[in-house]
Amino acid sequence: MIIAKNIYKSFGKVSVLNGISCEIKKGEKVVIIGPSGSGKSTFLRCMNLLETPTNGEIWFDDKLINEVDPYLHDDLIEKSNTCKKLIQSNIDTESALLKIKEEKLLKKYEGKEFRLAVKEFTKANHIDINFARRKVGMVFQHFNLFNNLTVLQNLTLAPVQLKIKTKEQAEEKAMALLKRIGLEEKANAYPSTLSGGQKQRIAIIRALAMEPDVMLFDEPTSALDPEMVGEVLELMKDLANEGMTMVVVTHEMGFAKEVASRILFMDGGVIKEENSPKEFFSNPKDLRLKEFLSKVL
Amino acid sequence: MSIWELFVKSFVEDGGYKEVLRGLAVTLVTAICALIIGIILGTIVAFTQIAKGKGPILRFFKGFFKVYVSIFRGTPIAVQLLFIYFVIFPAIGLGLMKAEIVGLIIFGLNSGAYVSEIMRGGILSVDKGQSEAGRALGLNNTQTMLKIVVPQAVKNVIPTIGNEFISLLKETSVLSFIGVMDLTKAFREIGSANYEYTIPYLILAISYLVLVFIASGIVKLIERRMRASDNR
Ligand SMILES: Nc1ncnc2c1ncn2[C@@H]1O[C@H](COP(=O)(O)OP(=O)(O)OP(=O)(O)O)[C@@H](O)[C@H]1O
Ligand SMILES: [Mg+2]
Repeated sequence: MIIAKNIYKSFGKVSVLNGISCEIKKGEKVVIIGPSGSGKSTFLRCMNLLETPTNGEIWFDDKLINEVDPYLHDDLIEKSNTCKKLIQSNIDTESALLKIKEEKLLKKYEGKEFRLAVKEFTKANHIDINFARRKVGMVFQHFNLFNNLTVLQNLTLAPVQLKIKTKEQAEEKAMALLKRIGLEEKANAYPSTLSGGQKQRIAIIRALAMEPDVMLFDEPTSALDPEMVGEVLELMKDLANEGMTMVVVTHEMGFAKEVASRILFMDGGVIKEENSPKEFFSNPKDLRLKEFLSKVL
Repeated sequence: MSIWELFVKSFVEDGGYKEVLRGLAVTLVTAICALIIGIILGTIVAFTQIAKGKGPILRFFKGFFKVYVSIFRGTPIAVQLLFIYFVIFPAIGLGLMKAEIVGLIIFGLNSGAYVSEIMRGGILSVDKGQSEAGRALGLNNTQTMLKIVVPQAVKNVIPTIGNEFISLLKETSVLSFIGVMDLTKAFREIGSANYEYTIPYLILAISYLVLVFIASGIVKLIERRMRASDNR
């Protein structure tokens, strides 16, 4: 469903992601854990292009959502002037490709043939990010409910603006979702009047109102008072049980153990370890992970 | 005749009140129109300044607006009036335009420079998470701006825009530099009719005080309305 290929991301000179590849399959619940500053949020935000990767590709449902990364495509590199020159100087194609990838030799302009090939590849595979985002729900640490809109308007804004639903249909769906979380009476309230737990549950159903194929959660319970964590985790577990594909960055180890089909451990902008919850917690291999687990468990 | 009688004579009997009423209208119309021009212009400038992108057209406008804002914020309004009315407009063949209109345009341009900064601050003061949430749902940049960011920004800037209007009201008193008969000039004429300025200028000052008082009241009312509408 989502495939990340060799993702790099730097902010100015600071490199935060250093080559991350992973695939999220339909129905999977992938939990990402790792120390603060390891790049978890950045990686999650790359998945819906709230951050643009510096290198690498993000594919959603077999469609490319960011720019082509030519280093991932040998057939593209072969069309570059640099590669042609190398081959002319009696290097075989294979070593030429390797050299170009290793030393990042591609320049801005690599000849007409290369440019056309990239263009063609883009045309065949790329989709507009705004389109992809409709199917990728996101839940933020700080809820980010629209302050100028009521709860109901928060839930209907996107489906109506994007002409996915009529106002009536959207409101009907919104009320059904509110009923599901027991907050129908808050339909006309403004976000500022809600508790943190209520806000986050509404943020979750705001994403659900778009009927997404996958949901991304960035520490959804970290900004909540302890007594409200439960209600949000319950809702997330319900979603998981219904078969929603989920990627969750969290520090809630209990949730990870119970819900995850796979856990990724990130450190220093790479995935250090990846395993089923059972193996992950009972038999960690990476040294940093062992250290991390000993602190949080 | 006492100074009061002198005033009454030129104000009532010689028809000075007509000038004053016209002057009042000029002052109000100039301030209101300048604010409207300022808001439209300032919003355009603000959006250009915060727009991301490296296209040559955008870069040109960013540079152009930056110069515009520096000039209008960096020189006194009286100098702007004199220079534009007596030098620039004649040079570009608009020397015959009515001074009232020129004054209004210059005040609009002046206000645009200030409002652009206010608007920019207002937009930047809206939490980044608000627009991220909009974009994450699939809304495009324009939809996110119009439905989420701008409404919140406008609410944030209303008090400051109100202050801008009050400044404009007072600053229009330099319109007489280019011969416009505004409130200030109307009272000066009354005074100079018999070289007795005490009462005219006292009433002039009180008139501005009252205008500013009313304007502040209206701004407060709008603020309260907006707060009540979503009790945050
Ligand atoms: N917009 C940005 N500009 C500059 N640096 C950034 C930006 N966003 C993140 N960073 C830096 O990237 C690094 C990784 O940040 P990220 O938020 O992805 O970490 P994280 O694993 O989510 O940490 P936490 O558990 O604290 O949320 C941090 O050092 C952070 O300072
Ligand atoms: Mg984070």
